[in-house]
Amino acid sequence: MSELILEAIDLEYSYPDGTKALRNVNLQVHKGEKLAILGSNGAGKSTLFMQFNGIFRPNSGTIKYQREDISYKNKALIELRKKVGIVFQDPDSQLFSASVWQDISFGPLNLGLPEEVVSERVKQALIDTETTDLEDKPTHLLSYGQKKRVSIAGVLAMKPEVIIFDEPTAGLDPRHSQEFMLLLEKLSLEGKTIILSTHDVDLAYSWSDKMAIMFGGEIIAHGDPGKLFRRPVILKQADLTLPWLIEMHSELTKKGWLPPSTPLPKTKEDLFNSISAKSKILG
Amino acid sequence: MINIDSYAYSNKLKTVHPAEKSLFAMMTMVVCLTAPTVITPLFVLAIMAGGIVFKAGIPSRVFAKLMFVPFSFLLISVLTIAFSVSTNPSGFWLAQTIHGLTVGIHYPDLFTALHLLLRSLGAVSCLYFLALTTPMTEIITLLHKLKVPVIITELMVLIYRFIFVFMDTATTIRRAQLSRSGYVSLKSSFRSLSRLSSALLGKVFVKSQELYNALAARCYSGEIKVLTKKRPVNLRNYLMITGFEIPLILLNLLWR
Repeated sequence: MSELILEAIDLEYSYPDGTKALRNVNLQVHKGEKLAILGSNGAGKSTLFMQFNGIFRPNSGTIKYQREDISYKNKALIELRKKVGIVFQDPDSQLFSASVWQDISFGPLNLGLPEEVVSERVKQALIDTETTDLEDKPTHLLSYGQKKRVSIAGVLAMKPEVIIFDEPTAGLDPRHSQEFMLLLEKLSLEGKTIILSTHDVDLAYSWSDKMAIMFGGEIIAHGDPGKLFRRPVILKQADLTLPWLIEMHSELTKKGWLPPSTPLPKTKEDLFNSISAKSKILG
Repeated sequence: MINIDSYAYSNKLKTVHPAEKSLFAMMTMVVCLTAPTVITPLFVLAIMAGGIVFKAGIPSRVFAKLMFVPFSFLLISVLTIAFSVSTNPSGFWLAQTIHGLTVGIHYPDLFTALHLLLRSLGAVSCLYFLALTTPMTEIITLLHKLKVPVIITELMVLIYRFIFVFMDTATTIRRAQLSRSGYVSLKSSFRSLSRLSSALLGKVFVKSQELYNALAARCYSGEIKVLTKKRPVNLRNYLMITGFEIPLILLNLLWR
C-alpha cells in the first residue's frame, strides 16, 4: 500500500446553528488513490471536504496531511491549500472575476509563481478543460457547464497534489462528463490523488478504486467499491441504488448465463468480454 | 446596460489595447468639454459615431438608441436655459407676451443651450465609445496599473461579477413567482417584490461566505492578484489618436 496522504481522525463538526454535520469521521486517503464519496444530499460530503484544506476547523478530532497534523496558522494553511485543491459544487460561488483568464490566474499567482509560468499554466488548464475558446468571454455569458469547466481549470492551474471535486459531473452534459472522466484518468496517471463526491453510482463504481459511503454525517462504509456494493443493508441505509454493471452481472449469473466465478465487471467492456467468452465456450 | 456589456466583449475593437481606447475616449472627452465653439463637439460626435459604428461594428440602431437616452433628458434641461420669463419684453429673439409676462428666448441663451447640449452629447459619445469597446475587466486592470488603490479595484472586480450573479438569481426568483401568479394584482405584486428582495438579501450573505471560502481554498491572503491577457501595443493607434486630437485642440485654441 502506498503512503497515507490525507487522514481524518475522529472528526466532529457542527455548524454555528447547532446542526451536527460530521460525527466521528475517520477516513484514510492514500497517495495516488481514486476515492469516491457517495451519499445523499446533506450527508456531510461538502463539509468533510472543507475540513481537508482547513476552511472549516473541526470541533474535535484532527486532519493529517502526510502524517502530520495540519496547523491552522495562516502560513501553514496556505501551504496546505497549495497541496489540497477543492473544486466547489457551485461555479458561481467560485468564479470571482468576470474574466475567465483572470479567474484561472488567481490561484497560481497566489503560489508566488512568476507571470510567465502562470500564463503557461493558465493556457494548459484551458486546454485540459477544453475552455480555450472561452478565454475572452465574460463568465456571466457562459453556460453552467462552461462555468463548471472554468472553475475546474482554476484549480488545475495550481497543480495541487490532492484534488477534491464536489459533485463535478452534476450539470455537465454527457459528452463533457465523459471528457471530464478522461481528464481525471490523466490526472491519476500523473500521480495525483483524487477525491470526488457524487450521486452517480455507476460513475463511482467504474472510476474509483476506493469508495466511502456517507450518511447523516458519518462514514458508514469505506473500502473496495465491488465489495461495498454487495452489502445491501448499507446501500439501503444510504439510499443508494446498484450500478447497472453489478445488477446485470448478478442477473446473468443467476440465470446461469455467466459462470458464478466470473469476476465483477469494472467497465462495460469487462462485462461484454465475459459474455463473449461464455458464448465461445457454448459455441 | 446588459447590451452595452455584451458588445464590449464582442466588438471589432476588443483586441485593441485598453489604454489606447481609454486615452482616445478620455482625451476627446476633455477636448469636447473645454470646447468654446459648437464645431468641436460636432466633430467629436462624428468621430465617435464613426468609431463606434464603422470601426467597432456596433449596429447604428443600437448606437442611436443609446444616444437617445441622454438626449431626451438633456433636451429638457437645456430648454430651461434657453427659455426665460421676464416682465421686460425687450431683447427677446422669439417671444410671447401674456398678461405683461414675456416668455421667450434670448439669442445668446439659445446659443448657450445649444452649445451645452452638443458638448454633453459629445462627451457622452466618448464614454459610449469606451463602454462599448472595452470590457469592464480590462478597464479595471488599467485603473490598477494607474495606481488606483487596490481596495477600489478589488471591489470593482467583485461588484461587477456579482451584479450578474444577483441579476440571474433575481430573474430566477421572479420567474418562479410569475409562474405561480405572484404579480397578478397590485397587492400581490408588492408582496412578491418584497419577498424577492428579502430572499436576495439572504442570498447575498450566503454567497459572500461561499465566495470567501472558495477564495481561501485557492490561497487567498488578503489581496486579489490576477493576470490579464496582454494586448499588443500599437504605435499606429497612438499616432492616430494624436492625429485626431491635435486638430481638435487647435480648433479649440484658435476660436478664442
